[in-house]
Amino acid sequence: MNEVAVLPPPSSEEVQQTLARRTAEVEGRVRQAYASTLEPLFRTGLAVAAVGGFGRKELFPYSDIDLLLLAESDKNLPPRENISAFLQTMWDSGLRPSHSVHSVNDCVAEHADNAEFTISLLDRRFLAGDAALWEVLQQKFRQFQLRRAASLARQIAALAEGRRAKYQNTIYHLEPNVKESPGGLRDLQTTRWLLMLEPREGAPDLSGAFNLLSALRLRLHEMAGRDQNALSFDAQESLSEHPAALMRDYYRQARLVDQAVRQALEVSTEKAGTLLGRFHEWRSRLSTSDFTVSRDRVLLRGHKPPQDLSLFEFVARHELRLAPDTIARLQGFTPETKWEDWKRLLSLPKASVGLSAMQESGVLPNALPEWRNIECLVVRDFYHRYTVDEHTLVAIASLESISDGRFQELMSEIEEPWLIRFALLLHDAGKGSGRDHTSASVEIARGVMERLGVPQQDRETIEYLIRHHLDLSSVMSSRDLYDGSTARALADRVGTLERLRLLTMLTFADISAVNPQAMTPWRMEQLWRVYLLAYEELTRELVSERIHDAAGMPAERARFVEGLPTRYLRTHTAEEIDAHFALAQQLASRPVAVEIQHAGGFYKLTLLTKDRPALFASVAGAISSFGLNILKAEAFSNASGVVVDTFTFADPHRTLELNPPEMDRLRGVVRKVVEGKQEAEKLLRGRPKPFLSSRMKIRPRVSFKNDASDGATLIEIVSEDRPGLLYDLANAISLAGCNIEVVMIDTEAHKALDVFYVTHQGHKLNDELQSELKSELLAACAGSR
Amino acid sequence: MKRIEAIIQPHKLEDAKEALKNIGVDGMTITEVRGHGRQKGHTEVYRGMEYKVDLLPKVKLELVVPDPRADEVVRTLVNAARTGKIGDGKIFVSEVADAIRIRNDDRGDAAL
Repeated sequence: MNEVAVLPPPSSEEVQQTLARRTAEVEGRVRQAYASTLEPLFRTGLAVAAVGGFGRKELFPYSDIDLLLLAESDKNLPPRENISAFLQTMWDSGLRPSHSVHSVNDCVAEHADNAEFTISLLDRRFLAGDAALWEVLQQKFRQFQLRRAASLARQIAALAEGRRAKYQNTIYHLEPNVKESPGGLRDLQTTRWLLMLEPREGAPDLSGAFNLLSALRLRLHEMAGRDQNALSFDAQESLSEHPAALMRDYYRQARLVDQAVRQALEVSTEKAGTLLGRFHEWRSRLSTSDFTVSRDRVLLRGHKPPQDLSLFEFVARHELRLAPDTIARLQGFTPETKWEDWKRLLSLPKASVGLSAMQESGVLPNALPEWRNIECLVVRDFYHRYTVDEHTLVAIASLESISDGRFQELMSEIEEPWLIRFALLLHDAGKGSGRDHTSASVEIARGVMERLGVPQQDRETIEYLIRHHLDLSSVMSSRDLYDGSTARALADRVGTLERLRLLTMLTFADISAVNPQAMTPWRMEQLWRVYLLAYEELTRELVSERIHDAAGMPAERARFVEGLPTRYLRTHTAEEIDAHFALAQQLASRPVAVEIQHAGGFYKLTLLTKDRPALFASVAGAISSFGLNILKAEAFSNASGVVVDTFTFADPHRTLELNPPEMDRLRGVVRKVVEGKQEAEKLLRGRPKPFLSSRMKIRPRVSFKNDASDGATLIEIVSEDRPGLLYDLANAISLAGCNIEVVMIDTEAHKALDVFYVTHQGHKLNDELQSELKSELLAACAGSR
Repeated sequence: MKRIEAIIQPHKLEDAKEALKNIGVDGMTITEVRGHGRQKGHTEVYRGMEYKVDLLPKVKLELVVPDPRADEVVRTLVNAARTGKIGDGKIFVSEVADAIRIRNDDRGDAAL
């Protein structure tokens, strides 16, 4: 490869000198041409002025040279041949100006189809000719500008928005255009114009941005020998030995310009005072004792923001934005945060709105100093469109607008979404460290979690997610998904269903945020297949696999889990296992241990006892007899014949909530049916028959599989859910003389998904028994038993 | 010149690219595609509900090589992408009338 000498962008002094020199030189030639052609013919009534960039004295080597020939009135415009002579002289001297001829009145009229002309006059500058005529224009234009400020601002805003839309309204382009892209010189100029028309306090200082953008543009012109403003990959390499560092500087400045122009555009469109604006005003009733909301913008009531993250929580909860004044007041603000603060913010469905507000106001790096590592950090390839910090925020936001139904559902099943959001926040924090970014990110995350006081269990999950955030992607692209060992290896590594869900959704977010097109339907399909593979492996096959010699557990506990299905360990947290173990201790003094917990609108009943026939059905019946609706259930038994049954149920009639003594009665009834002192059948007899629609939406399906497990027959049932369904199904199985080994019950809206592992006298079910049981189960689904 | 179009399993892409590189072929177009042949797709069960997967993710490699190299390239691709199972994919070879390099008007083998 040819080594090309690197030519770094010039210093700001050099830029200013070059622009001034170029402007002075062009000015001289224009004056000369005017003096030799038009001046002798028109002593009065004509003047020449610089407009646009030339007017601002910001002439780049190949930028347009815009000239205005100002005439007194439309009636005495100079003849065409005189103007031609003037232009020809300039062409001969190597200038290629663009000119226009206008009368004074023309200049102070609105041109709906040529707003650019009026805008270019904002930067007008007298060069030569009739100075008195120029004074007339100056006076008239000042009045025009005052009178028409709002309308001009709207036109400028409309042009800017149209241009920004061509670049998808983002500063993040691999090869940005330093003039036209959002965050470029044109945006910078737009903020200046809007400020000129509608002066306001607190506009940010953009001189640093102007210096860098101009320096880049100057070099781009020199390198191309024409008005070329695209910062292409090649150009990036010619401008710096460390193109990634150059681009990091570029994005830092472009982001400031982008923020400034968005703020300025907002102010000018707000003034338009539309119906929509008035609607937004209505939102002000959201105001609290700490914050005022006006037009969807949050203002601080007190002098200082609250010390925690409550401002950003508020912003995220109501999907608002910070008012410019609030952003100004947040400069240098460092909140004192604990894990609970982050957890509250990150548990909100639109947490990304709060995080973006933290980023925009500069609070995020103060609250989380590790964020600075990735601020504006560039991953320089043809694939990564965003800087690392932006990628992180886009990833978190992508979980909030999932269009695919399967992944949407998966996301909704995640019980602790703040864990995935927090893991995403730091998953790339180690990028730019020069070594393997995954382990660097894990180390950084450890420090952060230590500081915030994240509880041990959450810490492990977050660390796990960061450490393995690339695993599923690599399985997707480099493993044979049809090979059984792929699924086994994956399931082993993931361990539990909740972790699989978290890791799948984290991968979904990570891929979606590489660039807007990265999550193709193809990749989505591959990721879903990987998820399914591990899911099937974790749920089906592990049911038949039993725990033997559990490692890393105290001996007593290991004896308790001995013989439970492997699935038990994978679907229960350490805390749940501890609680079950504590219940198992009670069995020494009594035959049944029952516990009922109330959490998040649901109740969970856990039952431990010695196994006996029809146990599961009896308990299901007892729960249903209270009018409670079973949503999930599991039954496992260990090697010493102790069963662990859990039932999650809803209380649609608020029986337990409104009648606290009913809770004790439920516990008592469950004990009695387990001990055989009461019959579930009798309890249910008194209950009104549930209303069953004659046309069920879900056709019941019952399927048997004998090869799913070594020792038991698998029965899968899909049916329309109804109160008492589980009791009827379990009872039908028990009446057929079968023993229920393992149960997994789940509901989705009105659909019940029931899986039973069943044996008959210690063996799998034969065909005859299967067909008999099938018709019984179908009858139970239809409610006709 | 021959155009070689290979539809292979996604996880074999890296192997195939590596193998082609080893015999000095590094220009190709790669597309992520979905489809099925005799493998037809299959049913998968998720939470008790069956659903049919009839379009399977595959990768398509396209390359154009001078006539004398075609056999070697095809053999290399077959060896790299074969697992011996249904769904390994297919390779199609067809005649190419001409090739033009847009940058400088090179034609025929010179443009490859």
